[in-house]
Amino acid sequence: MTTNKKGFTVSLLFVVMMSMLLAACGGNGNTAGTPSPTSAGGTGTEVDKGATTGEPVTLEFWTIALQPTFNDYFNDLIAKYESSHPGVTVEWKDYPYDAISQRLLTSTASGNSPDVVNLNTEFASQLGSKGALLNLSEYLTDEEAKSYFEGIYNSTILNGKAYALPWYTGTEVLFMNTKLVQQAGLDPANPPQTREELVEWGRQVHEKTGVAGYAQQLVSKLFPIDGIPILNEDKTAAAFNTPEAEAMIAQMRDLMAEGVVLKEDAEFSKQIQYFSGEQVAFQLSGPTFINFIKKSAPDVYKNTIAVPLPTGKANLRLSNSMNLVVPQKSKNPEQAVEFAAFITNSENQTAFSKVANTLPSSKASIQDPFFTESNGSLEAEAKVASSQSLDKATDYMVGVPSAADINSALTRGLQEILMNGADIKETLNAVENEVNNILSQGS
Amino acid sequence: MYKAIRSESFTAWAFMAPGLLFLAVFTFWPIIYGIPLSFTDYSVITETHYVGLDNFTRAFKDHNFLVSLWNSLVYVLIVPVIQLLSILMAILVNSRIPGVKMFRAAYYIPVVTSMVAVALIWSWLLGNNGVVNYLLLKAGVLSEQVSWLSTSSTALYVLMFITMWKGLGYYMMLYLAGLQGIPADLYEAARVDGAGPLRMIVHVTIPLLRPHILFCTLISVMGAIRVFDEVYILTKGGPGTSTLTSSVYIFQKGLEQFNFGYASALGLIVSVLVGALSVLVFRLNRKGGVNSY
Repeated sequence: MTTNKKGFTVSLLFVVMMSMLLAACGGNGNTAGTPSPTSAGGTGTEVDKGATTGEPVTLEFWTIALQPTFNDYFNDLIAKYESSHPGVTVEWKDYPYDAISQRLLTSTASGNSPDVVNLNTEFASQLGSKGALLNLSEYLTDEEAKSYFEGIYNSTILNGKAYALPWYTGTEVLFMNTKLVQQAGLDPANPPQTREELVEWGRQVHEKTGVAGYAQQLVSKLFPIDGIPILNEDKTAAAFNTPEAEAMIAQMRDLMAEGVVLKEDAEFSKQIQYFSGEQVAFQLSGPTFINFIKKSAPDVYKNTIAVPLPTGKANLRLSNSMNLVVPQKSKNPEQAVEFAAFITNSENQTAFSKVANTLPSSKASIQDPFFTESNGSLEAEAKVASSQSLDKATDYMVGVPSAADINSALTRGLQEILMNGADIKETLNAVENEVNNILSQGS
Repeated sequence: MYKAIRSESFTAWAFMAPGLLFLAVFTFWPIIYGIPLSFTDYSVITETHYVGLDNFTRAFKDHNFLVSLWNSLVYVLIVPVIQLLSILMAILVNSRIPGVKMFRAAYYIPVVTSMVAVALIWSWLLGNNGVVNYLLLKAGVLSEQVSWLSTSSTALYVLMFITMWKGLGYYMMLYLAGLQGIPADLYEAARVDGAGPLRMIVHVTIPLLRPHILFCTLISVMGAIRVFDEVYILTKGGPGTSTLTSSVYIFQKGLEQFNFGYASALGLIVSVLVGALSVLVFRLNRKGGVNSY
């Protein structure tokens, strides 16, 4: 009897499993009506044509962590857009940084894709390479595409397709704790210009005060800073496994052993703690860092100055941009692109920079006196220092497919070497294999 | 008689129905649905293709996954320690000393505290300039600061300690319930036979707690292999792959990198592993209890 029962249960489970297996391999319920990413011009085909003929359209616009601080700015902007586009209603939703990608997944899975989404470059590239985003090159005029800084606009171009419109950005500056620097006998008025000089300064600070030079996160940008490309020209294979990379990592390892750089993979929140607690003398990050220091350590804030970031061997400054993307499954792609272009046009970017203390990604914006004149405050110094290097700025993940996967592989490799003492060459070989696998699998 | 049983079971099912329905929708269905998904390249956002056994062959060649499995197995080492300590704690708080209720509550507080809060508190305590380093330096145990969570040789064990610290009270309560079900006359008889406290624990308490030990060991093994919160919050699997556990890796592959098909395959492999370990635990704990089963 029991055997029969068992047999029946097993059979039932098997039948259920097989039927579902067949279901999964058969009709793509989740992709119905979506043109495949490889089909040329596969964007306008499924457009709700009614939308362009004046029928009411609701655009769902998602941002990352901008409510409630910037409610007034966005409510005005949306009202302005709606009044000049009769029939278009914009629904603005805001999610925390950690939640947005999963929200996007769940809404896409349930067939309610948003129309315009704010994503960082890494995620935009990751989703773009998976064919989940609209190719904006087909919608933008040449003039529109050229209105953005080239290095930033190019960061989400994969195989000649632009998957995102650059929005607000930040380039890193060097924050300096003048008290510690002066204690070490250095002159903050003549700040270091290159990475080598910064290392020397860090060394002197460490020798004289016992405090470390700076903390940093072990991310893939350490390679391009020194001119080491992450991938080859056509983005088909890893290109970071070079003697230059070995030398760069070996130097980093020595600096950590010396105490010039903290031996830790310090996330941004940790970096704030270290700088606030005067455990490091320098901080390399975007201008938003100021807001945190101001709150967490007012005394340290008073002693802090901002200067242009010392450049590495590549002599470039990396931007860290937010973008607007249009998911492939948006039901109103044309209106969505138009709205994204409106949000990121120079006039609106200038206005947003003024309220949010960020940098614009549109060329015309930085002509505004707001970005050229300083009143001597730390915020203004940081802003002027970073905005004047925007034309040289490039995102470190320029056109890297599956960027999130590659980033995580490189981070793990760097941690293995710098914190676990693994052999540099062996680890680089292993990470190179891993990255090549990611690229060949497209995932 | 039969009717009575039928109506009784109907009542039981009726009471269980809401919970079962919830479990069916949010637990059983996703588990079952994960099986066919593991044979595809499902990513939610793009077209899905059947890939046969590719995900499984890829998994066994995936160095990071193998490391994560190993780390999860190492994590299982906390099971005997946590069981032994919680039994001892249960015996202690089962005694009739004054103020014992306060201890019971104190040991149970970590259990009801959110793991996020626990993880953050420990991250401060274990920070370079945290209390732990301060005390150990003062006591002369350490000669220099240790980055407990950023050093490969210590990170995994520190996480295991945090898991254990949070779980002790939970198992202690379960064992306490078991202890209170042991008839007092058995202890009387043992005492008459000249058994001391230690012999009573070895020959009376432990054998009669067997069913509880089986249950606690089982959920503790499953918990150890599926550990996620503390690892993800404190180290995200780093430095390198030192603390990468299977759950964290599956989460990263699925929810961070959108490779749900591959993540489902990994989940299936881990489920089989958990199943095998559960069978092993059952085999090792067959006899015992007040009524042998």
